[in-house]
Amino acid sequence: MSKNEIWNSGTQEGKRNNPFSFPEFLSSRFSSLVSTDDNPSRLALTFLPMFSRIVSLLLVAGTAFASAAPAPLTAKELAAVAKVESVSIPTPAEAMAALGKVAKPNWQSRYRQPIPTTFSNRAQIALNIGGLIADGYIAVEAEDAQQVKNTGKDIIALAKTLGVSESVIARGNSIFEFAERNEWNTLKEELEATQNEVKLSLEQQHDADLVCLVSLGAWIRATEILSGWIADNYTPVAAKLLRQPEIVALMRAKLDGLPAKAKEDPLVADLIAGLPALEALVSFSSDKVPTQNDVKAVKEVSGKLMKRISTKPNAK
Amino acid sequence: MQSGTQEIRKGKALVMRALALLLVCAAALPAPGAPDPAALPTDAEVKAQASALEVAGAFSNDGFKNRDGHVFGKIAPKEPKFIQVNLYSGNQYWFIAATSGPAKRIAVTVFDEKGKFVPTELYENNTQAAAGFSPQASGPYIVRIEELSGEPATFCLLYSYK
Repeated sequence: MSKNEIWNSGTQEGKRNNPFSFPEFLSSRFSSLVSTDDNPSRLALTFLPMFSRIVSLLLVAGTAFASAAPAPLTAKELAAVAKVESVSIPTPAEAMAALGKVAKPNWQSRYRQPIPTTFSNRAQIALNIGGLIADGYIAVEAEDAQQVKNTGKDIIALAKTLGVSESVIARGNSIFEFAERNEWNTLKEELEATQNEVKLSLEQQHDADLVCLVSLGAWIRATEILSGWIADNYTPVAAKLLRQPEIVALMRAKLDGLPAKAKEDPLVADLIAGLPALEALVSFSSDKVPTQNDVKAVKEVSGKLMKRISTKPNAK
Repeated sequence: MQSGTQEIRKGKALVMRALALLLVCAAALPAPGAPDPAALPTDAEVKAQASALEVAGAFSNDGFKNRDGHVFGKIAPKEPKFIQVNLYSGNQYWFIAATSGPAKRIAVTVFDEKGKFVPTELYENNTQAAAGFSPQASGPYIVRIEELSGEPATFCLLYSYK
Protein backbone atom coordinates (compact mmCIF):
# COMPACT_ATOMS: atom_id res chain seq x y z
CA MET A 1 0.00 0.00 0.00
CA SER A 2 1.46 3.40 -0.91
CA LYS A 3 1.02 6.58 1.09
CA ASN A 4 -1.19 7.97 -1.68
CA GLU A 5 -3.51 5.00 -1.41
CA ILE A 6 -3.76 5.65 2.30
CA TRP A 7 -4.80 9.24 1.82
CA ASN A 8 -7.24 8.23 -0.91
CA SER A 9 -8.93 5.73 1.33
CA GLY A 10 -8.83 7.99 4.38
CA THR A 11 -11.23 10.64 5.57
CA GLN A 12 -11.68 13.93 3.75
CA GLU A 13 -10.43 15.71 6.85
CA GLY A 14 -7.30 13.63 6.78
CA LYS A 15 -6.61 14.51 3.17
CA ARG A 16 -7.28 18.21 3.71
CA ASN A 17 -5.03 18.53 6.72
CA ASN A 18 -2.10 16.32 5.86
CA PRO A 19 0.78 18.49 7.18
CA PHE A 20 3.43 16.45 5.50
CA SER A 21 2.07 16.93 1.95
CA PHE A 22 0.19 20.24 2.17
CA PRO A 23 3.21 22.58 2.26
CA GLU A 24 4.62 20.99 -0.90
CA PHE A 25 1.26 21.33 -2.60
CA LEU A 26 0.95 24.94 -1.48
CA SER A 27 4.42 25.98 -2.58
CA SER A 28 4.10 24.41 -6.03
CA ARG A 29 0.70 26.08 -6.52
CA PHE A 30 2.01 29.54 -5.61
CA SER A 31 5.22 29.25 -7.56
CA SER A 32 3.29 28.30 -10.71
CA LEU A 33 0.92 31.26 -10.26
CA VAL A 34 3.70 33.78 -9.82
CA SER A 35 5.89 32.43 -12.56
CA THR A 36 3.17 32.32 -15.20
CA ASP A 37 1.56 35.69 -14.49
CA ASP A 38 3.50 38.79 -13.40
CA ASN A 39 0.75 41.38 -14.16
CA PRO A 40 -0.27 42.87 -10.73
CA SER A 41 -3.94 43.49 -11.60
CA ARG A 42 -4.34 39.99 -13.01
CA LEU A 43 -2.62 38.63 -9.94
CA ALA A 44 -5.04 40.53 -7.69
CA LEU A 45 -8.00 39.22 -9.70
CA THR A 46 -6.65 35.72 -9.38
CA PHE A 47 -6.02 35.98 -5.65
CA LEU A 48 -9.22 37.83 -4.56
CA PRO A 49 -11.70 35.01 -5.23
CA MET A 50 -9.20 32.52 -3.87
CA PHE A 51 -8.73 34.60 -0.71
CA SER A 52 -12.49 34.86 -0.08
CA ARG A 53 -12.84 31.12 -0.68
CA ILE A 54 -10.02 30.42 1.77
CA VAL A 55 -11.64 32.66 4.42
CA SER A 56 -15.03 30.98 4.03
CA LEU A 57 -13.38 27.54 4.06
CA LEU A 58 -11.51 28.43 7.25
CA LEU A 59 -14.76 29.56 8.89
CA VAL A 60 -16.54 26.34 7.91
CA ALA A 61 -13.56 24.24 8.97
CA GLY A 62 -13.31 26.16 12.24
CA THR A 63 -16.96 25.52 13.05
CA ALA A 64 -16.64 21.86 12.14
CA PHE A 65 -13.46 21.56 14.16
CA ALA A 66 -14.98 23.24 17.22
CA SER A 67 -17.91 20.85 17.20
CA ALA A 68 -15.83 17.76 16.38
CA ALA A 69 -12.93 18.21 18.82
CA PRO A 70 -13.02 15.37 21.35
CA ALA A 71 -13.64 16.28 24.97
CA PRO A 72 -10.65 16.39 27.31
CA LEU A 73 -9.92 13.19 29.16
CA THR A 74 -11.60 12.78 32.53
CA ALA A 75 -9.69 12.14 35.75
CA LYS A 76 -10.83 8.52 35.56
CA GLU A 77 -9.49 8.19 32.01
CA LEU A 78 -6.19 9.84 32.96
CA ALA A 79 -5.84 7.36 35.79
CA ALA A 80 -6.36 4.52 33.30
CA VAL A 81 -3.43 5.55 31.09
CA ALA A 82 -1.08 2.59 30.66
CA LYS A 83 2.68 3.00 30.59
CA VAL A 84 4.14 0.25 28.46
CA GLU A 85 7.90 0.08 28.21
CA SER A 86 7.90 -1.01 24.56
CA VAL A 87 6.21 2.18 23.35
CA SER A 88 6.32 4.58 26.32
CA ILE A 89 10.12 4.76 26.36
CA PRO A 90 11.50 6.48 23.24
CA THR A 91 14.58 5.09 21.53
CA PRO A 92 17.83 7.09 21.62
CA ALA A 93 17.33 7.52 17.84
CA GLU A 94 14.23 9.64 18.45
CA ALA A 95 16.15 11.98 20.73
CA MET A 96 18.96 12.24 18.20
CA ALA A 97 16.52 12.86 15.33
CA ALA A 98 14.99 15.72 17.31
CA LEU A 99 18.39 17.27 18.04
CA GLY A 100 19.30 16.88 14.37
CA LYS A 101 16.33 19.09 13.49
CA VAL A 102 17.53 22.06 15.55
CA ALA A 103 21.30 21.66 15.20
CA LYS A 104 24.02 19.97 13.21
CA PRO A 105 25.73 17.92 15.93
CA ASN A 106 29.17 16.47 15.46
CA TRP A 107 28.16 13.02 16.63
CA GLN A 108 31.71 11.67 16.64
CA SER A 109 32.52 14.12 19.43
CA ARG A 110 30.08 12.13 21.61
CA TYR A 111 31.92 8.80 21.33
CA ARG A 112 33.25 7.41 24.61
CA GLN A 113 36.14 5.13 25.43
CA PRO A 114 35.33 1.41 24.94
CA ILE A 115 33.77 -0.08 28.06
CA PRO A 116 34.62 -3.45 29.63
CA THR A 117 32.67 -6.42 28.26
CA THR A 118 33.51 -8.87 31.03
CA PHE A 119 31.08 -7.98 33.80
CA SER A 120 29.83 -10.76 36.06
CA ASN A 121 26.87 -8.90 37.53
CA ARG A 122 23.80 -9.57 35.37
CA ALA A 123 22.14 -6.26 36.23
CA GLN A 124 25.29 -4.42 35.17
CA ILE A 125 25.44 -6.38 31.91
CA ALA A 126 21.81 -5.52 31.09
CA LEU A 127 22.39 -1.81 31.82
CA ASN A 128 25.53 -1.74 29.68
CA ILE A 129 23.83 -3.46 26.74
CA GLY A 130 21.35 -0.57 26.82
CA GLY A 131 24.19 1.96 26.95
CA LEU A 132 25.90 0.30 24.01
CA ILE A 133 22.70 0.35 21.99
CA ALA A 134 22.68 4.15 22.46
CA ASP A 135 26.34 4.23 21.38
CA GLY A 136 25.31 2.30 18.27
CA TYR A 137 22.79 5.02 17.41
CA ILE A 138 25.49 7.72 17.68
CA ALA A 139 27.73 5.76 15.33
CA VAL A 140 24.80 5.43 12.90
CA GLU A 141 24.10 9.18 13.11
CA ALA A 142 27.81 9.79 12.47
CA GLU A 143 27.55 7.32 9.53
CA ASP A 144 30.67 5.62 10.87
CA ALA A 145 30.54 1.98 9.71
CA GLN A 146 33.62 0.89 11.67
CA GLN A 147 32.29 2.36 14.91
CA VAL A 148 28.91 0.66 14.32
CA LYS A 149 30.73 -2.66 13.90
CA ASN A 150 32.85 -2.09 17.02
CA THR A 151 29.76 -1.30 19.07
CA GLY A 152 27.88 -4.28 17.58
CA LYS A 153 30.76 -6.53 18.57
CA ASP A 154 30.63 -5.28 22.16
CA ILE A 155 26.85 -5.72 22.30
CA ILE A 156 27.17 -9.34 21.18
CA ALA A 157 30.02 -9.98 23.64
CA LEU A 158 27.90 -8.71 26.53
CA ALA A 159 24.73 -10.44 25.30
CA LYS A 160 26.60 -13.76 25.21
CA THR A 161 27.56 -13.38 28.87
CA LEU A 162 23.83 -13.12 29.63
CA GLY A 163 23.27 -16.38 27.76
CA VAL A 164 20.80 -14.82 25.34
CA SER A 165 19.48 -16.68 22.35
CA GLU A 166 20.91 -17.24 18.88
CA SER A 167 18.45 -14.69 17.49
CA VAL A 168 20.36 -11.90 19.24
CA ILE A 169 23.61 -13.12 17.74
CA ALA A 170 21.91 -13.16 14.32
CA ARG A 171 20.80 -9.56 14.86
CA GLY A 172 24.38 -8.64 15.66
CA ASN A 173 25.51 -10.17 12.39
CA SER A 174 22.85 -8.13 10.56
CA ILE A 175 24.25 -4.97 12.17
CA PHE A 176 27.65 -5.83 10.66
CA GLU A 177 26.12 -6.42 7.22
CA PHE A 178 24.04 -3.23 7.21
CA ALA A 179 27.05 -1.21 8.41
CA GLU A 180 29.10 -2.71 5.60
CA ARG A 181 26.46 -1.52 3.10
CA ASN A 182 26.00 1.92 4.78
CA GLU A 183 22.27 1.28 5.29
CA TRP A 184 21.89 3.84 8.06
CA ASN A 185 18.08 3.96 8.30
CA THR A 186 17.85 0.18 8.40
CA LEU A 187 20.53 0.15 11.09
CA LYS A 188 18.41 2.35 13.36
CA GLU A 189 15.57 -0.17 13.17
CA GLU A 190 18.02 -3.05 13.56
CA LEU A 191 19.51 -1.57 16.74
CA GLU A 192 16.08 -1.28 18.33
CA ALA A 193 15.23 -4.78 17.14
CA THR A 194 18.45 -6.06 18.75
CA GLN A 195 17.52 -4.36 22.01
CA ASN A 196 14.07 -5.96 21.86
CA GLU A 197 15.55 -9.38 21.05
CA VAL A 198 17.74 -9.10 24.16
CA LYS A 199 14.67 -8.20 26.23
CA LEU A 200 12.60 -11.03 24.74
CA SER A 201 15.43 -13.46 25.35
CA LEU A 202 15.66 -12.33 28.98
CA GLU A 203 11.89 -12.75 29.41
CA GLN A 204 12.04 -16.22 27.94
CA GLN A 205 14.81 -17.12 30.39
CA HIS A 206 12.52 -15.96 33.23
CA ASP A 207 14.90 -13.04 33.77
CA ALA A 208 12.24 -10.37 33.24
CA ASP A 209 13.64 -8.25 36.10
CA LEU A 210 16.58 -7.33 33.91
CA VAL A 211 14.47 -6.15 30.97
CA CYS A 212 13.80 -2.67 32.34
CA LEU A 213 17.52 -2.24 33.02
CA VAL A 214 18.30 -2.51 29.30
CA SER A 215 15.92 0.39 28.55
CA LEU A 216 17.23 2.34 31.52
CA GLY A 217 20.85 2.01 30.38
CA ALA A 218 19.90 3.16 26.88
CA TRP A 219 17.94 6.15 28.14
CA ILE A 220 20.62 7.35 30.59
CA ARG A 221 23.32 7.11 27.91
CA ALA A 222 21.09 8.93 25.38
CA THR A 223 20.46 11.66 27.95
CA GLU A 224 24.18 11.96 28.61
CA ILE A 225 24.87 12.29 24.86
CA LEU A 226 22.10 14.82 24.27
CA SER A 227 22.79 16.99 27.32
CA GLY A 228 26.54 16.83 26.66
CA TRP A 229 26.15 18.21 23.17
CA ILE A 230 23.59 20.84 24.18
CA ALA A 231 25.69 21.97 27.15
CA ASP A 232 28.64 22.56 24.82
CA ASN A 233 26.54 24.13 22.03
CA TYR A 234 23.70 25.72 23.99
CA THR A 235 20.52 26.98 22.33
CA PRO A 236 17.19 27.38 24.15
CA VAL A 237 15.28 25.33 21.57
CA ALA A 238 17.70 22.40 21.92
CA ALA A 239 17.64 22.66 25.72
CA LYS A 240 13.85 22.18 25.71
CA LEU A 241 14.34 18.74 24.15
CA LEU A 242 15.58 17.48 27.52
CA ARG A 243 12.11 17.72 29.04
CA GLN A 244 11.03 14.13 29.75
CA PRO A 245 9.43 14.00 33.22
CA GLU A 246 7.53 10.75 32.81
CA ILE A 247 10.36 8.57 31.54
CA VAL A 248 12.36 8.67 34.76
CA ALA A 249 9.15 8.24 36.76
CA LEU A 250 8.36 5.11 34.74
CA MET A 251 11.91 3.78 35.19
CA ARG A 252 11.81 4.45 38.91
CA ALA A 253 8.51 2.62 39.19
CA LYS A 254 10.06 -0.35 37.36
CA LEU A 255 13.06 -0.34 39.72
CA ASP A 256 10.78 -0.06 42.75
CA GLY A 257 8.92 -3.12 41.47
CA LEU A 258 12.05 -5.27 41.36
CA PRO A 259 12.28 -8.12 43.89
CA ALA A 260 13.95 -7.16 47.16
CA LYS A 261 17.03 -9.24 46.31
CA ALA A 262 17.52 -7.40 43.01
CA LYS A 263 17.16 -4.04 44.75
CA GLU A 264 19.92 -5.01 47.18
CA ASP A 265 22.39 -5.17 44.29
CA PRO A 266 24.77 -2.24 44.99
CA LEU A 267 24.53 -0.93 41.41
CA VAL A 268 20.73 -1.08 41.35
CA ALA A 269 20.64 0.53 44.80
CA ASP A 270 22.87 3.36 43.53
CA LEU A 271 20.56 3.90 40.55
CA ILE A 272 17.49 3.96 42.78
CA ALA A 273 19.25 6.59 44.89
CA GLY A 274 20.56 8.60 41.91
CA LEU A 275 17.55 8.72 39.59
CA PRO A 276 15.44 11.23 41.59
CA ALA A 277 18.10 13.93 40.97
CA LEU A 278 17.93 13.28 37.21
CA GLU A 279 14.13 13.18 37.32
CA ALA A 280 14.03 16.62 38.98
CA LEU A 281 16.31 18.07 36.30
CA VAL A 282 14.24 16.86 33.32
CA SER A 283 10.84 17.56 34.88
CA PHE A 284 10.53 21.27 34.08
CA SER A 285 7.24 22.68 32.77
CA SER A 286 6.63 22.73 29.01
CA ASP A 287 6.91 26.55 28.80
CA LYS A 288 10.19 26.77 30.75
CA VAL A 289 13.51 27.05 28.94
CA PRO A 290 16.37 25.36 30.84
CA THR A 291 19.49 27.52 31.20
CA GLN A 292 22.91 26.35 30.08
CA ASN A 293 23.71 25.59 33.73
CA ASP A 294 20.55 23.47 33.99
CA VAL A 295 21.71 21.49 30.94
CA LYS A 296 25.19 21.11 32.42
CA ALA A 297 23.60 19.68 35.56
CA VAL A 298 21.74 17.07 33.46
CA LYS A 299 25.02 16.21 31.72
CA GLU A 300 26.82 15.86 35.05
CA VAL A 301 24.19 13.69 36.75
CA SER A 302 23.61 11.41 33.74
CA GLY A 303 27.38 11.18 33.18
CA LYS A 304 27.95 10.09 36.79
CA LEU A 305 25.24 7.45 36.53
CA MET A 306 26.70 6.17 33.26
CA LYS A 307 30.18 6.02 34.75
CA ARG A 308 28.84 4.02 37.70
CA ILE A 309 27.10 1.65 35.28
CA SER A 310 30.15 1.04 33.10
CA THR A 311 32.77 0.71 35.87
CA LYS A 312 33.69 -2.79 37.03
CA PRO A 313 33.25 -3.16 40.81
CA ASN A 314 36.93 -3.87 41.47
CA ALA A 315 38.21 -1.13 39.14
CA LYS A 316 39.99 1.77 40.76
CA MET B 1 5.85 -58.63 60.80
CA GLN B 2 2.79 -58.14 58.66
CA SER B 3 2.58 -54.50 59.67
CA GLY B 4 6.30 -54.11 58.76
CA THR B 5 5.65 -55.44 55.20
CA GLN B 6 2.70 -53.09 54.89
CA GLU B 7 4.94 -50.18 55.92
CA ILE B 8 7.49 -51.11 53.21
CA ARG B 9 4.72 -51.43 50.61
CA LYS B 10 3.33 -48.03 51.65
CA GLY B 11 6.82 -46.53 51.41
CA LYS B 12 7.38 -48.02 47.95
CA ALA B 13 4.04 -46.68 46.77
CA LEU B 14 4.92 -43.21 48.08
CA VAL B 15 8.27 -43.25 46.31
CA MET B 16 6.62 -44.36 43.06
CA ARG B 17 4.03 -41.61 43.38
CA ALA B 18 6.70 -38.99 44.07
CA LEU B 19 8.71 -40.18 41.05
CA ALA B 20 5.63 -40.04 38.82
CA LEU B 21 4.88 -36.52 40.07
CA LEU B 22 8.45 -35.43 39.36
CA LEU B 23 8.22 -36.82 35.83
CA VAL B 24 4.96 -34.97 35.21
CA CYS B 25 6.45 -31.72 36.57
CA ALA B 26 9.59 -32.12 34.46
CA ALA B 27 7.48 -32.67 31.35
CA ALA B 28 5.45 -29.55 32.12
CA LEU B 29 8.53 -27.35 32.50
CA PRO B 30 9.95 -25.77 29.34
CA ALA B 31 13.30 -27.12 28.18
CA PRO B 32 16.23 -24.84 29.03
CA GLY B 33 16.40 -22.06 26.47
CA ALA B 34 12.99 -22.89 25.01
CA PRO B 35 10.66 -19.90 24.58
CA ASP B 36 8.13 -19.32 27.31
CA PRO B 37 4.71 -19.89 25.61
CA ALA B 38 3.24 -17.04 27.66
CA ALA B 39 5.75 -14.64 26.10
CA LEU B 40 4.75 -15.53 22.53
CA PRO B 41 2.07 -13.48 20.74
CA THR B 42 -1.28 -15.07 19.94
CA ASP B 43 -2.58 -15.53 16.39
CA ALA B 44 -4.95 -12.57 16.86
CA GLU B 45 -2.05 -10.38 18.02
CA VAL B 46 0.10 -11.42 15.07
CA LYS B 47 -2.74 -10.57 12.65
CA ALA B 48 -3.35 -7.18 14.28
CA GLN B 49 0.36 -6.40 14.16
CA ALA B 50 0.59 -7.37 10.48
CA SER B 51 -2.32 -5.07 9.70
CA ALA B 52 -0.73 -2.17 11.63
CA LEU B 53 2.59 -2.78 9.89
CA GLU B 54 0.82 -2.59 6.54
CA VAL B 55 -0.17 1.00 7.33
CA ALA B 56 3.24 1.80 8.84
CA GLY B 57 4.88 0.52 5.65
CA ALA B 58 3.19 3.29 3.69
CA PHE B 59 4.67 5.91 6.01
CA SER B 60 8.13 4.39 5.83
CA ASN B 61 8.07 5.16 2.09
CA ASP B 62 7.94 8.78 3.20
CA GLY B 63 11.01 8.55 5.43
CA PHE B 64 9.30 7.51 8.66
CA LYS B 65 11.16 4.92 10.73
CA ASN B 66 9.06 2.25 12.39
CA ARG B 67 9.54 1.57 16.07
CA ASP B 68 10.12 -2.13 16.67
CA GLY B 69 8.26 -1.79 19.97
CA HIS B 70 4.51 -2.29 19.97
CA VAL B 71 1.71 -3.00 22.37
CA PHE B 72 -1.15 -5.51 22.19
CA GLY B 73 -4.43 -5.30 24.05
CA LYS B 74 -8.12 -6.02 24.06
CA ILE B 75 -10.57 -3.40 22.90
CA ALA B 76 -14.37 -3.15 22.93
CA PRO B 77 -16.93 -0.45 22.07
CA LYS B 78 -17.12 2.20 24.83
CA GLU B 79 -14.04 0.72 26.45
CA PRO B 80 -11.15 2.70 24.94
CA LYS B 81 -7.55 2.06 25.88
CA PHE B 82 -5.10 4.84 26.79
CA ILE B 83 -1.34 4.50 26.35
CA GLN B 84 1.35 6.98 27.32
CA VAL B 85 4.09 7.88 24.86
CA ASN B 86 7.02 10.23 25.45
CA LEU B 87 7.87 12.35 22.43
CA TYR B 88 10.42 14.90 21.26
CA SER B 89 9.37 18.26 19.84
CA GLY B 90 10.22 18.79 16.20
CA ASN B 91 9.93 15.11 15.28
CA GLN B 92 6.93 13.94 13.26
CA TYR B 93 5.00 10.94 14.54
CA TRP B 94 2.32 8.57 13.28
CA PHE B 95 0.51 6.39 15.82
CA ILE B 96 -0.98 3.39 14.09
CA ALA B 97 -3.51 0.92 15.48
CA ALA B 98 -5.14 -2.09 13.87
CA THR B 99 -7.39 -4.83 15.11
CA SER B 100 -8.00 -8.45 14.26
CA GLY B 101 -11.27 -10.21 14.87
CA PRO B 102 -14.80 -8.85 14.95
CA ALA B 103 -14.04 -5.11 15.30
CA LYS B 104 -15.60 -3.05 12.50
CA ARG B 105 -14.21 0.45 12.94
CA ILE B 106 -11.53 1.93 15.20
CA ALA B 107 -10.05 5.39 15.78
CA VAL B 108 -6.81 6.81 17.21
CA THR B 109 -6.79 10.14 19.05
CA VAL B 110 -3.92 12.00 20.75
CA PHE B 111 -4.11 14.04 23.97
CA ASP B 112 -1.46 16.03 25.83
CA GLU B 113 -0.25 15.09 29.30
CA LYS B 114 -3.16 16.97 30.92
CA GLY B 115 -5.71 15.16 28.77
CA LYS B 116 -6.37 18.01 26.33
CA PHE B 117 -7.13 16.98 22.74
CA VAL B 118 -4.23 17.47 20.30
CA PRO B 119 -5.22 18.09 16.65
CA THR B 120 -3.71 15.48 14.36
CA GLU B 121 -3.95 14.21 10.83
CA LEU B 122 -6.22 11.22 10.67
CA TYR B 123 -6.29 8.04 8.72
CA GLU B 124 -9.24 5.74 9.32
CA ASN B 125 -9.93 2.64 7.27
CA ASN B 126 -12.29 0.42 9.27
CA THR B 127 -10.01 -1.78 11.36
CA GLN B 128 -6.91 0.33 10.72
CA ALA B 129 -6.49 3.85 12.06
CA ALA B 130 -3.65 6.32 12.51
CA ALA B 131 -3.04 9.80 13.90
CA GLY B 132 -0.06 11.91 12.84
CA PHE B 133 1.36 15.10 14.30
CA SER B 134 4.49 16.99 15.27
CA PRO B 135 4.56 17.85 19.00
CA GLN B 136 5.23 21.45 20.00
CA ALA B 137 6.72 20.43 23.34
CA SER B 138 8.80 17.41 24.36
CA GLY B 139 7.24 15.20 27.00
CA PRO B 140 4.39 12.79 27.62
CA TYR B 141 1.32 12.44 25.39
CA ILE B 142 -1.59 10.02 25.57
CA VAL B 143 -2.80 7.90 22.67
CA ARG B 144 -6.41 6.72 22.81
CA ILE B 145 -7.45 3.67 20.83
CA GLU B 146 -11.20 3.24 20.62
CA GLU B 147 -13.51 0.84 18.89
CA LEU B 148 -16.32 2.79 17.26
CA SER B 149 -18.35 -0.26 16.19
CA GLY B 150 -18.12 -4.02 16.25
CA GLU B 151 -17.43 -6.72 18.79
CA PRO B 152 -14.52 -6.96 21.28
CA ALA B 153 -11.23 -7.54 19.48
CA THR B 154 -7.45 -7.62 19.84
CA PHE B 155 -5.51 -4.51 18.85
CA CYS B 156 -1.89 -3.67 18.13
CA LEU B 157 -0.49 -0.15 18.52
CA LEU B 158 2.85 0.92 17.11
CA TYR B 159 4.37 4.13 15.90
CA SER B 160 6.64 5.67 13.30
CA TYR B 161 8.72 8.83 13.52
CA LYS B 162 11.02 11.02 11.50
